Amino acid sequence: MGIENTRFLVVDDFSTMRRIVRNLLKELGFTNVQEAEDGVQALAKLRVDEFDFVVSDWNMPNMTGIELLRNIRADAKLKHLPVLMVTAEAKKENIIEAAQAGASGYVVKPFTAATLDEKLKKIFANMQK
Amino acid sequence: MNDFAGMEELLSDFLLEAGEMLSDVDSKLMDLEKRPNDAGLLNEIFRGFHTIKGGAGFLNATELVALCHLTENLFDKLRNRELTLSAELMDTIFAATAEVRRMFGALQQNLQPTPAPAEMLENLKAALDGKPIVKSVASTTPPAQPVAATLPDTTPGVAPVPDGVDWNALYGALTGTDIVAKVGATRDPEKIASAISEEESTKKAFGRRGADAPGTTVGRRDGDVAPKEAKETTIRVDTDRLDQVLNLSGEIGLTKNRLTHLRSDIMQGRNDADTLRELDRSVTQLDMLVVNLQNAVMKTRMQPIGRLFKKYPRLARDLARSLGKDVELVLVGEETEMDKTMIEDLNDPLVHLVRNAVDHGVETIEGRIAAGKPEKSIVELSARQEGDHILITITDDGRGMRPEVIRNKAIEKGLITNEIANTLDEKQCLELIFLPGFSTKDEISSVSGRGVGMDVVKTNISKLNGTIDIHSEPGRGSVFTIALPLTLAILPVLILRLGEQSFAVPLSMVREILSVTPEQLQQVSGRATMVVRGEVLPVLPLAQLIGWEASDVPPEVGVLMQFGNNSFILSADGFAGHDDVVIKSLDTFRPKGVAGVTMSSEGDIVLILDIKELLSDVRGH
Repeated sequence: MGIENTRFLVVDDFSTMRRIVRNLLKELGFTNVQEAEDGVQALAKLRVDEFDFVVSDWNMPNMTGIELLRNIRADAKLKHLPVLMVTAEAKKENIIEAAQAGASGYVVKPFTAATLDEKLKKIFANMQK
Repeated sequence: MNDFAGMEELLSDFLLEAGEMLSDVDSKLMDLEKRPNDAGLLNEIFRGFHTIKGGAGFLNATELVALCHLTENLFDKLRNRELTLSAELMDTIFAATAEVRRMFGALQQNLQPTPAPAEMLENLKAALDGKPIVKSVASTTPPAQPVAATLPDTTPGVAPVPDGVDWNALYGALTGTDIVAKVGATRDPEKIASAISEEESTKKAFGRRGADAPGTTVGRRDGDVAPKEAKETTIRVDTDRLDQVLNLSGEIGLTKNRLTHLRSDIMQGRNDADTLRELDRSVTQLDMLVVNLQNAVMKTRMQPIGRLFKKYPRLARDLARSLGKDVELVLVGEETEMDKTMIEDLNDPLVHLVRNAVDHGVETIEGRIAAGKPEKSIVELSARQEGDHILITITDDGRGMRPEVIRNKAIEKGLITNEIANTLDEKQCLELIFLPGFSTKDEISSVSGRGVGMDVVKTNISKLNGTIDIHSEPGRGSVFTIALPLTLAILPVLILRLGEQSFAVPLSMVREILSVTPEQLQQVSGRATMVVRGEVLPVLPLAQLIGWEASDVPPEVGVLMQFGNNSFILSADGFAGHDDVVIKSLDTFRPKGVAGVTMSSEGDIVLILDIKELLSDVRGH
């Protein structure tokens, strides 16, 4: 499977933001992108459809990104999934929390396609190891 | 001037969604005034500012990011119980949301917003540090200040990046195989923290990112430009509704295929009973599908009126405070759905009516105590569907209107003569407030910033084919009731015939269909009338209304029409059934009394009558 076929799930409660991330991914050549509005919806989608990569916002109603991350890591079928946390929570304790919960990466809004590309590449590289 | 070339789509998406979010924040702030310790509310407001900030960052709207960042941090502390809400703090927050709205206005004109007033930012920062707020900021949009004075310091354009680290570098620490790649392998916060502090020195580099685009906001002022709300050109539609449209159009496609097949059969001479029955069945099905499709398409245009209502509690609160009144605007029926175009066009009239209720309707606190009423006045804005109409009411518990006062004022202003005034009943007196020129000058400046008078309210409502009605009890309060058709796009009509020509009248006005015989007609002071179940009603021949010569054959059918409190019988030559028509408006050529045209099933042009306009003509004579 070519890397450009990576199946992304973008999770954010703000549809404008989902669109931004989707467009940035498209710019990088990733067109297989689905969306979810919060952690609950994301988890439901992850359990039904096959995905290769989760890009999730942190602060969302119903289920936050960090809770989603913990749920993914606790699920035998999903725990291998790379999860990139996208958020404006630019605080040290947040990163530590994300790292402890098993985030594969962390990117702070706003970011460019180049920044996203760099993050994704690192995660892909880590997965190859 | 366009600061967002190439980003227009993103910008319009953002404004639509963030605008709704801000209205939501505003209404939650009003709730917060009542329940200052509600953790859920604090959290939701926090998230609102947080989300707006996130989106604004992608638009490089640094000033908006800066303002939302401060407000967000404030709510972070509030929700964590590190700070408590005071009345001054509440004012500062309200001022901040007004400022965010001003910045949205600038963005709407494709301009990067200028910074928030320095005083406001200082207040927010002081509040964050737990210091008392020195000066309270007016909760309305502050006056524009000279640019130099509004720049916070000597580093304009620097993105107000929160205290943080170089995430790119930190990323390595997070994703390094030793640390996190194997989940759970290392859960040593110390180790991660040290990785963070190592990169701490580079955080300034990140801070400089915002400075890459210096001068973008310097020297530009949007404060002078009145932020005029552009009409939304996009709409958000529930995917379920769109799927329904898709399903129906698919089914119509199938039925069309079936019909095409039947046509070729029939063309080849097959017209046995089975074929014809099949044709009948297919056409019936198509008929049903098209009706469903029309409804489904219409539903995509329907939006909850709450989107509009949400803006008003804040408006009422601010106005009430500036007038020294205590007013709560209660919203009812926010989920009621209406055509999107109508919702937009309703804004101006509703703003005026809400302001009118707060300004003129309800009394001052002292006045209310003197009248033995509770200090707080309740103004209720409600919406509900009744049949094919939407009723919107604005009810206040204020002083009400006295018909004789209004009558005298109208005479004073020379709007009506004494003679006419004496013929008016109480209800008609109240309706005098809709006359152009009734609102006094100072009312226009203080109450309605847009210079809208009650006459304009009425005109705007009429343009939407709606009516507005007043009911008032002196000492008890007033009720304004607006009745609007559900949608402007499709209209159920009754089709009348006059000679060879067809005319359509809105079915919503039709109460009853009668046959009219010359014997039933009675002449009362030179006018034809007819008694229907004890009620004497004027009979107006359609021919006369539209100015045709009376034909030799007297009209045979009558339609009992009703709108508002008026009833009359419209007589014509015959009926041609009823239909749901799509109104085509006549933009450049609009004969009096014709609302638009449509096409009948036989392909003839049908004129859709504007009964109100026709009648106003008759009354004028």
